[in-house]
Amino acid sequence: MTSRERVVTAMRRRQPDRPPFDLSFGYSTAQLASIRDRTGADDPCDYFGADTRMVWPGPTRLSTDFSAYHGPLPPGTTIDEWGLAHVPTASTDADHAHLEGFRHPMSRLESVSEAAEYPLPDIDAAYRYEPVRAEIEAIHRRGLAAMAMLECTVFERAWYLRGMERLLLDFTDGSAFATTLLDRITERRMAQAEHYARAGADVIAYGDDVGTQRGLLMSAGMWRAWLKPRLARTIEAARRVEPDVLVFYHSDGDVSAIIPDLIEVGVDILNPVQPECMDPAALKCAYGDRLSFWGTIGTQSTLPFGSPDDVRREVRTRIETVGAGGGLFLAPTHILEPEVPFENIVAFVEAVKGRYA
Amino acid sequence: MTAESVSPLIAALRQAVIDGQAKDAAALTEQALAAGVVPRSLVDEALIPAMDEAGRLFEAGEFFVPELLVAARALKASQALVTPLLAGSAAATAGRIAIGTVKGDMHDIGKNLVLALLQGGGFDVVDLGADVPPERFVAAITDDGAQMLGLSALLTTTMLQMKATMEALDRAGVRGSVKVIVGGAPVTQRFADEIGADGYADNAAAAVVLARRLLGRPA
Repeated sequence: MTSRERVVTAMRRRQPDRPPFDLSFGYSTAQLASIRDRTGADDPCDYFGADTRMVWPGPTRLSTDFSAYHGPLPPGTTIDEWGLAHVPTASTDADHAHLEGFRHPMSRLESVSEAAEYPLPDIDAAYRYEPVRAEIEAIHRRGLAAMAMLECTVFERAWYLRGMERLLLDFTDGSAFATTLLDRITERRMAQAEHYARAGADVIAYGDDVGTQRGLLMSAGMWRAWLKPRLARTIEAARRVEPDVLVFYHSDGDVSAIIPDLIEVGVDILNPVQPECMDPAALKCAYGDRLSFWGTIGTQSTLPFGSPDDVRREVRTRIETVGAGGGLFLAPTHILEPEVPFENIVAFVEAVKGRYA
Repeated sequence: MTAESVSPLIAALRQAVIDGQAKDAAALTEQALAAGVVPRSLVDEALIPAMDEAGRLFEAGEFFVPELLVAARALKASQALVTPLLAGSAAATAGRIAIGTVKGDMHDIGKNLVLALLQGGGFDVVDLGADVPPERFVAAITDDGAQMLGLSALLTTTMLQMKATMEALDRAGVRGSVKVIVGGAPVTQRFADEIGADGYADNAAAAVVLARRLLGRPA
């Protein structure tokens, strides 16, 4: 079985030769340096034999000036193509090198026309997906599965621009500003999803963090009013082009309350299923015939603080309780922070490949 | 004006804050003050119970982050009218607490919710912000007169800065003069015990209860 066959088989809830795996959304700066040092390999996914590779849109040709949307910014701040300012931590600790804060460019805007005129990036432009198509072909030639990244699909992208507290107040107030902003982002995300589907992605990775570890960030009612219909539109856009594309949805935290809604709008795969606040085995029992699970290995518990034996035990437990009949993709639940021991990463990969001892 | 005739105003103000109705909260505050309600009792009988109830509803899973945010907004609308009238009253607050997200960590939503509920609970809260180095926490005690510190972290990486902050308090010789409470997604009671914190709470409402207990205030 090639990696691509393994991923598609498992995520369609048929039995693969072993569960597919990857190393999640990446690595903290210090962890990546440590892995490279220990393995001599540039890409940990190549070294460990992960089953997927991720793709993103090619670079933009725009060079929008967002300075009018920001006050003075600290030294070292970078502004991305959405206009979001990324402020580096003041800490000089090497383990903190990947940490940054945000300055939100739309936090001081008031009128609907300002929401309508804010310069959004051209992530819907066809030229940015020409390199994606080539990358996906190359990934497929290697027998790997291609995962097209549509993370921070609508809600997170909107609050990155507006500020989370401000956007949640907008929702509560029923603000036309929020409607305009969310609709504009949704339209671009729909185009992006179509481009990914056309380029041959096996999996499209949608995601908006709407969970805390104690339950939803907002009420299920508010999520259904503001976010569910827009998520549905972005999924429909991909499915109109490629009905069989696998739809992956990421939210940190406990999103149990909206799992039936996610299935209803077409989500095939739930990620990351944080075991610190969701029970993967119980979810398999409740939804395993309609939903696959990607993640489940805790980066807040076992991976940083457990022993290699603990990691192997957690992997084996997942395979036994969630892996039957497919539907399980094993991955750390988030990026590998610096305190995850290298031995635990090795133990994770070996256990997935069936070496438990 | 009798207690009976102002109590509906107090009850209505309390409900307006819980419901996050900022304009109503401001109007009812003005009416209550005009009716002769003592500012202190307005705080004690309407505002503090309102935010306690919002916190209780949050803890019970009936309120979510947006409901807490609008309640805090309504609270501020009332406080803007009441707080100036309380100035100079030494017993006006339940204690001074400095709160921040530890060094390296930029996450502030959880910290801000705790801050809102502590303020609502009658504490004088100094917001140290995010990415706060240990020496700033020390200065909050020596310069700002904090009786309690609240430390927040969202990541296993930065959680370790809580230990570094506790050590800095020891080195500065101020550990004995302050209570320290900790919280955030990866933090546990066990971790709090290991680093020698005085208390841990797993949600914003529980943090207020904890702060009152540690500072010897009535629950």
